[in-house]
Amino acid sequence: MNIFNQTGKYFSLLLKVFSRPERHSLYARQTFSEIDNLGVKSVGIVVVISIFMGGITTLQVAYNLTNPLLPTYLIGLGNRDTLILEFSSTILALIMAGKIGSNITSEIGSMKVTEQIDSLEIMGVNSAGYLILPKIIAVVVMFPFLYILSVCFGLIGGMIVGPAVGAVTATDYLNGIQYLFNPYYVTYSLIKCVVFGFLIASVAAFFGYTVEGGAFDVGTASTRAVVNTNILILVWDLILTQLLL
Amino acid sequence: MIEIKNVFKSFEQKEVLKNISKVFNKGETNLIIGRSGSGKTVLLKSIVGLHEVDKGKILYDNRDFTSMNQQLRKKLRQEMGMVFQGGALFDSLTVEENVRFPLDMFSNLTLAEKQKQVDFCLERVNITNANKLAPSEISGGMKKRVAIARAIVMNPKYLFCDEPNSGLDPETSLVIDALIHSITVDLQITTIINTHDMNSVMEIGDNILFISEGEMCWEGNRTEILHSNNQKLQEFVFANKQYQRLRDDKINEQ
Repeated sequence: MNIFNQTGKYFSLLLKVFSRPERHSLYARQTFSEIDNLGVKSVGIVVVISIFMGGITTLQVAYNLTNPLLPTYLIGLGNRDTLILEFSSTILALIMAGKIGSNITSEIGSMKVTEQIDSLEIMGVNSAGYLILPKIIAVVVMFPFLYILSVCFGLIGGMIVGPAVGAVTATDYLNGIQYLFNPYYVTYSLIKCVVFGFLIASVAAFFGYTVEGGAFDVGTASTRAVVNTNILILVWDLILTQLLL
Repeated sequence: MIEIKNVFKSFEQKEVLKNISKVFNKGETNLIIGRSGSGKTVLLKSIVGLHEVDKGKILYDNRDFTSMNQQLRKKLRQEMGMVFQGGALFDSLTVEENVRFPLDMFSNLTLAEKQKQVDFCLERVNITNANKLAPSEISGGMKKRVAIARAIVMNPKYLFCDEPNSGLDPETSLVIDALIHSITVDLQITTIINTHDMNSVMEIGDNILFISEGEMCWEGNRTEILHSNNQKLQEFVFANKQYQRLRDDKINEQ
């Protein structure tokens, strides 16, 4: 019963979030601030993770490609498709659920337990709209950019590691990443990014907004938000893959 | 004027407010007093609509708040200011931005006009040279004063204060009390303060409601409190032996 109760509360909150803003200019300013805070400030971690994952995937594909009849450019192709189809969308979303999601839950949760949200309500501000809508827009807008960045740096990671350990030549690797490229894979992953971005921001905000108690409860809510977002990302990954591929 | 009529409120099976009725007058500091857990915060939050009452009516100058839809409530809330127990200042904004926030959200004033109003309110609460500081950089007493400045920046008709003196030293508490009282009288607003600070009761209690275990137990003013025969009220107000002696001296003087 609890899951239905929580789902109902989640959709009620979304209704409140998507109601008409009191002042568009203030919401827009808040959205740009969130784009910087949640999106631009995640670029560093995305770049680092992607370079390492690109390099590691290249090594793993090379390790499994033991048949001498198979051309080595397939290593580049394997790395590219892994990054485009799954790593840079789903795995990155799981990582971002930890980074961005816990940030959102703890920020909103702290505001709740220190009565800052009540204070907004007393002023006549739609607190859910003012606090959550800019975050959802920021993450939904920025996640596709982070995805593209992740693919690029993942490919660069493979390009550095593959030739460095002698698994593949730079020419073969570059040929591989261009071979049999299907642009629809990118479209499919961008759609996933939009859905995952929405889930990360909205589920994390829900757990923060509904927290009750003190600092301990905010911590618990952050953990629950990350766990639930991860599960929802995997469920929606399965659904979207079945629908779109 | 705010009038509450036969208000009941329960949480699950627990009845927290039982048939409370009271008129809070304009231009007076109205106090709600009672022990911790007596229901005074629930009553205050019910009056401002943070809790929905189960039964009863809350009237703001004869406008029935309990039957209003969300849009009308939002409009009415622009006539309210509230000072929360911990100040509830927005951490991400400076002192000045905190006070300006309601103006940014709801007024059509120019930036210069808003600044003038913010400076006026900060001056009113004796805050100087702190405009650019973050809430984490100022003391508890200053936070309360900034919260008062933010509460009055829209020239509210109704001011609510939830334990404005909690965590403050006696001297700062007196300053806060005097400030709230003078704002109430000068601006002729309806102020409701939720407190269990006896200094506040004796200093600024124009109109006092004492509640015990969710029930209305006594009402009167700070002079009448000395002569009340209400056992629960006497036990609560004069729990301290020093206060008991002062009361007896005062009665003997009269």
